[in-house]
Amino acid sequence: MSQTHFPAYQNELAKYFKTEKQQQFSTNFFTDAENYEVWDEIDFSNLKEVDGQNTFTIKAEDFKFYAEGCLDNNPYMTDEEFAKKSPYGRLVPHPLFTTTICFWCVGIKGSGSWIRTPGARNPGQYHEYYEDFEVGETIHIKMRPYDRYEKRGKCYLQYKIDMYNQDNVLKASTISTLILPRTREDIRKFLEGIRGLKD
Amino acid sequence: MEKITFESLKTGTALEPVAHKVGQETFWKNAVASFDYNPVHNDAEWVKTAMPFKIPKTVGHGMMTMSFMTSVVTNWAVPAMLRVSKITSKFTKPVEQEWTVTCTGVITEKHYISKGKNFVVVEVKAENQDKELLGISQVEVVFPD
Repeated sequence: MSQTHFPAYQNELAKYFKTEKQQQFSTNFFTDAENYEVWDEIDFSNLKEVDGQNTFTIKAEDFKFYAEGCLDNNPYMTDEEFAKKSPYGRLVPHPLFTTTICFWCVGIKGSGSWIRTPGARNPGQYHEYYEDFEVGETIHIKMRPYDRYEKRGKCYLQYKIDMYNQDNVLKASTISTLILPRTREDIRKFLEGIRGLKD
Repeated sequence: MEKITFESLKTGTALEPVAHKVGQETFWKNAVASFDYNPVHNDAEWVKTAMPFKIPKTVGHGMMTMSFMTSVVTNWAVPAMLRVSKITSKFTKPVEQEWTVTCTGVITEKHYISKGKNFVVVEVKAENQDKELLGISQVEVVFPD
């Protein structure tokens, strides 16, 4: 599965980069697609918990840009001075900041990489929160296959992803779900710009 | 800061809606914020033929819609020092460019557990300008005392 698609929109995306991590992250989901996990190849007989590829050290800019990126101008999430003077004494993350953490920590190879699959569709998500993430924490994830099923001709994959800080305090969990192309050949079709789904 | 107590809160209470008109720039900005660079949100040329949603145009991230829905709750809960503890969302229709997404929320359940663990459920829905349903969320909010 070779890289055959060099999207022109990459330059447009780069105009929005503000944080250090945004400059570093691989924005082309076609690259490395050969290494993504595939729906019909995951071994559900061996449900080991594994670590994500990367850790995420939270900076204030990460919280602020997530809120801005979902058009939320809540000052508790975007204004450091305001937030410091509030009863929290710190910035508060938008709850869906967990999305940013998961994409960063999963990385581009191995377990969980299916979340980057071109052609994937999002049917809905489940998140639980135990403590707010805070600036300065270094977050790591642990994940394991949770379920794989067909429903109305669509192939669903779920992983449970737990997010911990540097002291191994569980901060949040998600059951991450996507509808995926069924086979590696179906993904290859999407890489060529052909619809690799049967529904 | 507004003081909200669990005892005083009534089911049926509506929260302040959140509405956004979205376009390709919104999708790009959300991609950069979330690190979700799936081409169905970003690549207008690819999606013309690949069409994961059977639509030859880019669509918004499900997590963008879920974030909009969640903001209905956090706009109310965060200033009051209440904590979001659980979110369950389903997406019913992909969000297209130039649509206006309006999210509305109503407190539908009060759960009497114990001091520090009592929580309410806010049901949120997202609709486009034609009142087509785009997604629904159930958000649990815990009261600290």
